[in-house]
Amino acid sequence: MNERTSSDGASAPLPHYVSPAPFDPYSVERTTPEQEKIYLASQWKLMALKFKRHRVAVVSAIVLALMYLAVLGVEFLSPYHQDTRNVQHIYVPPQPVHLFHKGEFIGPFVYALDYKLDMSNLKRTFTENPEKPLKIRFFCRGDRYNWWGVVPGDLHLVCPPEGGPMFLLGSDRLGRDMLSRVLYGMRISLTIGIMGVAVSIVLGIALGGLAGYYGGWVDDIVQRVIEVIRSIPHLPLWLALAAILPVTWSPLWIYFGITIILGLIDWTGLARAVRSRLLSLREEDFCVAAQLMGASPRRIIFRHLMPSFMSHLIASATLAIPNMILGETALSFLGLGIRPPITSWGVLLNEAQNINVVVLYPWLMLPIVPVIIVVLAFNFMGDGLRDAADPYR
Amino acid sequence: MKRRDFLLTSLGAGLVMGAPSAFADFISSPFFKDAEAKGDLPPVAERLPKNPAVAAMPEIGRQGGEIRMLMASDKDTRILVAYSYARLVCYDRDYKLVPDICESFTEEEGRIFTFKLREGHKWSDGEPFTSDAFRYFWEDVANNEELMPTGVPKILTVDGKPAKVEYPDALTVRYSWDKPNAEFLPQLAGASPLYIYRPGHYLKKFHEKHQDAAKLAEAVKESGQPSWAALHNRRDNQYRNDNPKLPSLDPWVLQNKPPAERFIFKRNPYYYRVDEKGQQLPYADQVVFTKTDSKLIPAKAADDSDLQARNIRFDNYTFLKEKEEKQRKIWVRLWDDGRGSKLALYPNLTTNDVVWRGVLRDVRCRRALSMAINRDEINQAIYFGLGVPGNNTVLNFSPLYKPEYTTTWATYDVDQANQLLDEMGLTKRGDNNIRLLPDGRPMIVIVDTAGESTEETDVLQLVRDSWKKIGVDLFTKPSELEVFRNRIFAGESIMSVWVGVDNGFPNADMSPWEFTPTSQQQLQWAKWGQYYETKGEAGEKVDMPEAQKLAELMDAWRQATKSDARAKTWNEILAIWTDQVYTFGTVSNVPQPVVVNRHLHNVPEKAIWSWEPGAQFGVYKPDTFWLDENRRLSTVADQ
Amino acid sequence: MFRYFVQRLLVMVPTLIVISIAIFVIIQAPPGDFLESYISELQSQGEAVDPAKIEFLRRTYGLDLPLYMQYLKWAGGLLQGNLGYSFEHSLPVNEVVGDRLSLTVVVSLASILFVWVVSFPIAVYSAVRQYSIGDYFFTFLGYIGLATPSFLFALILLYFAKEYFDISIGGLMEPQYMDAPWSWAKFQSILSHLWIPVLVIGLPGTAGMIRRLRANLLDELNKQYVVTGRAKGLPPGRLLVKYPLRVSLNPFIADIGSLLPELISGSVIVSVVMSLPLTGPMLLDALRSQDMYLAGSFLMFMAFLTVLGVFISDILLALLDPRIRLGAGATK
Repeated sequence: MNERTSSDGASAPLPHYVSPAPFDPYSVERTTPEQEKIYLASQWKLMALKFKRHRVAVVSAIVLALMYLAVLGVEFLSPYHQDTRNVQHIYVPPQPVHLFHKGEFIGPFVYALDYKLDMSNLKRTFTENPEKPLKIRFFCRGDRYNWWGVVPGDLHLVCPPEGGPMFLLGSDRLGRDMLSRVLYGMRISLTIGIMGVAVSIVLGIALGGLAGYYGGWVDDIVQRVIEVIRSIPHLPLWLALAAILPVTWSPLWIYFGITIILGLIDWTGLARAVRSRLLSLREEDFCVAAQLMGASPRRIIFRHLMPSFMSHLIASATLAIPNMILGETALSFLGLGIRPPITSWGVLLNEAQNINVVVLYPWLMLPIVPVIIVVLAFNFMGDGLRDAADPYR
Repeated sequence: MKRRDFLLTSLGAGLVMGAPSAFADFISSPFFKDAEAKGDLPPVAERLPKNPAVAAMPEIGRQGGEIRMLMASDKDTRILVAYSYARLVCYDRDYKLVPDICESFTEEEGRIFTFKLREGHKWSDGEPFTSDAFRYFWEDVANNEELMPTGVPKILTVDGKPAKVEYPDALTVRYSWDKPNAEFLPQLAGASPLYIYRPGHYLKKFHEKHQDAAKLAEAVKESGQPSWAALHNRRDNQYRNDNPKLPSLDPWVLQNKPPAERFIFKRNPYYYRVDEKGQQLPYADQVVFTKTDSKLIPAKAADDSDLQARNIRFDNYTFLKEKEEKQRKIWVRLWDDGRGSKLALYPNLTTNDVVWRGVLRDVRCRRALSMAINRDEINQAIYFGLGVPGNNTVLNFSPLYKPEYTTTWATYDVDQANQLLDEMGLTKRGDNNIRLLPDGRPMIVIVDTAGESTEETDVLQLVRDSWKKIGVDLFTKPSELEVFRNRIFAGESIMSVWVGVDNGFPNADMSPWEFTPTSQQQLQWAKWGQYYETKGEAGEKVDMPEAQKLAELMDAWRQATKSDARAKTWNEILAIWTDQVYTFGTVSNVPQPVVVNRHLHNVPEKAIWSWEPGAQFGVYKPDTFWLDENRRLSTVADQ
Repeated sequence: MFRYFVQRLLVMVPTLIVISIAIFVIIQAPPGDFLESYISELQSQGEAVDPAKIEFLRRTYGLDLPLYMQYLKWAGGLLQGNLGYSFEHSLPVNEVVGDRLSLTVVVSLASILFVWVVSFPIAVYSAVRQYSIGDYFFTFLGYIGLATPSFLFALILLYFAKEYFDISIGGLMEPQYMDAPWSWAKFQSILSHLWIPVLVIGLPGTAGMIRRLRANLLDELNKQYVVTGRAKGLPPGRLLVKYPLRVSLNPFIADIGSLLPELISGSVIVSVVMSLPLTGPMLLDALRSQDMYLAGSFLMFMAFLTVLGVFISDILLALLDPRIRLGAGATK
């Protein structure tokens, strides 16, 4: 509210005055190249420099970059296809990778498994057979897949050894490899966050921008809409939006639908940020200067305002992504999100949400680890970005 | 010793009803000691009917204690009505109909039913239970337009004509029709039964005909209900069991009003059954339901429940068994499952998709799809080989069972299945070697699921893999339960997955309706069922000769008056059912884990878990279950 | 100031009307109505449904009326303080909500308290020692709470609480105290159960709180007056507490808006997993079974509290901040 100040009421113009002394452009001390690098750096460059000082943020950024890179080649990275079943190996606990067999280095391998079924309490037990080392294969041919649903292939980074399975993160109730499922799930979960944020950024910029720049009744309406959306808890909004997704949609479309749902609910925060940022920037000296020099509103918005709040926006968006990822797991829990056969981390965690898993098959809860890592990484990176985006620190 | 002999001979039948009272003394539970001493309750001999029902049981127990159970919602108070299984007539352990609340009944020509009530039988509030209760139901409820806007319950009509109901004396009631009504008695013995009596003395307060208009208007206003009829219906919920004030004939009576976190049911001082020693049943003084989220029930059952099978699934067995061994507080038993199939696929013969309808109506397609399901693999992978792979049909403990019902068209044979599909002319193949439908679309079956359990997804995954071998692909379409049903009813789905037939072990006297097009709930022909239910107002007329034949056989069964005639129609129905493969069963008789506290006795080691018939625990009479340890009884705050 | 007050108050009316319409639409959005979902639920368990009774219920509760009539009926009732009737429980809505509300407030208050107690020292520490190992460690710890999906965390915690502390799984108290009148023993039982939900509900909140407090405090610490104070030799503790800390708390007044509805809603997912007798599971059930009046009236109540909360915090901010207080009336 304090941003909205009137621009009228300026005092009488000063008398015209020109200094008679000759102007020496080099009166200021010459800058060293290092200083020049900072003084003359663009805002983005400054931001990058500042960001680098936040070490954890940099590490997080690298982790995330690697993960998104991995998303591209999920099929290649995972040892199995996500749906490959191994009915003989149901609920296998994670198999450790060994390097030395009887004191001798033979490269990474796993031991073969001995299977015992206890019919009195219906429990399958697997024990390592220390006599039978099975060497893991690399860059090998394995399950066939269609890369991103298009390019067929069968090359994998690692494959199960000949003559036995390999479940580095264990297997689930149908004998599916958890590692592969987590990797396939990563593709869905990581992209859903980005897409959801994309939707909410578009809405946030458009509506927040309108409200912030034009003010008046446009601002009022947008403000009220935001208020209404924020007054209703997420839960019924989720239920209602999930219910209006057409039932005839294919799973892939449902996935898009859910990203849009997440975005539609989340835009209000960004819109508010954009609006208040615009309102305050509008009053900044450089903006007033541009106005006085006769720049058109379009030029002001895109040339002057946009760059200065873009950095902030990126930081906010980064912080919003983990919420989307967690939102997706919550939706899955409520039975509204993505459902099998599509695999996401939310789906995996939801399947793990029962007492059997906690007590008997705890490795099925492992997808919680990547979720934590990703959410942490996004948060740290977002913190770093936000600190870096702030020109006053 | 005379009595002992008599009891021994009748032990096989499970329960002896209406045996002449030969007891020197009836024994009341210590629970009522104070009330009896103070004179608030009459002595037990006056509370029991003159001829109480005598229950036989493996071991005679002692009165006292409380049985704790876990339930998922406020609405589950009705489950105790099923478990209590106090019915006008009921099934005994051999699934024969025997008198229970009534002392005796007779059936003439399958159309005249006369019930003889017990003299001195009383409602839980001490008021006598006589033919007036039946009169109130028939005259003031069933035939009241405001209470029953759609008229007399359908089951009490034959060919649209309502029953003739007579009350020759205070203890006799007679229902009669012009034609036989074979479904009448089984309905009375149902898990969610047809109640043809009401505690009129209590309900009259809320009835326009019996209550002063001003008083009634006041009561309506106070309750916040829109009309007297709404108020009456609200108070009159024998099955839903949510009104603590409603007089009951059940062994335990609800004490507190929903919503609550815990429900206490106290023993009915006027309950009509005794054990062979003359101790008034039920043994347990109280039953307590603690509300717990359904997902937590398996985790809590070992510690906080004395008798639990509801919300416990097969895959919880391992966890519970470990608890049993570690804590030594419970037994985990595996009971037979009475459903026709644990999960079954229902091809929608009345789907709107003309091409698919044509293909699915070809019996060769149905047989091929059924034969291409690798049931053994499903059984091994998911059920540890404990189930019986086969069709969705009657089980081997049904008197109507024949082995071929289970196995015909249900043995895994990819070659023959492929051959059948080739014969049909579905020889063209598209991408991924998937067959093409006559209109050129790939043969991808979209299976609707209500997505209730991972088990469903898993079974479908296995089916999908084996169907691929005959060039058929399968996708699942999960939706909310309501949407799921509505899609099938409207013909929008081409196949769905759901549990198998409810009653998997019928005898000839039980209705074969589940095997004939009679209900919209039958997912393989929802529209035909709807047509039948609405008498032709909605849905579609049966237009396949075999199904038409099934409908005719259903009518024949209704008209039959003798068991062997009924058995004959049953056999014909099952033969058609087997040959035509209307549904694809997967695995049946997957055991149901039952958690029983080690202190709780008389719970059978091995039994059948089934809602209809048997009311789950009901047929094993939980009023005879007893506890050998003293426990502090839960109390309920005055509400 | 008074004008601002009245203006703010008047704006609430159309907002509430719009919210009520939005809520009604949201509840009606899923296909079918309460009776249909009721029938499906019964039939899915093989139980018979009496068509006569269904027809009766449909007419009695006006489910056969056109939608706008149903809305007017509901909204009209709300205006007269009549929250309507829950189909699912066959009871007036206020009776259904009843006891759950007070328990929810207890749990929520405890969680909010927990969030403050945990996040306050961490935030202060990590602001004062920015980028130190301790800063990273504690922020990391706080974020772990944020990053763990609560439904799984809740279940794990429940199981281990049972195994190691013998606290019965789920619920807020031992069964014998349920629906019992308040007593010291009941209170103790609740306390021993309370820490699990409080932990699960509170942890995600601490991370956000730490972040905001830390950022606010850092802003203040970099200001000239702090530097001046330090230069003049004020003891560090005093310097911190006297001004920057206080000022950095100011923005939390803006939080009251979200705090009020939070008090009565609790956390739905956690309450469901832990089987807590709070309003969250009730709301979820009501929404699922399309128990229109129960869900609608409860949501409306929450929305009203939100709007009220925003109003209160605006007024408080105006009172605290002379720029707003004065700016509203006079020109600059």
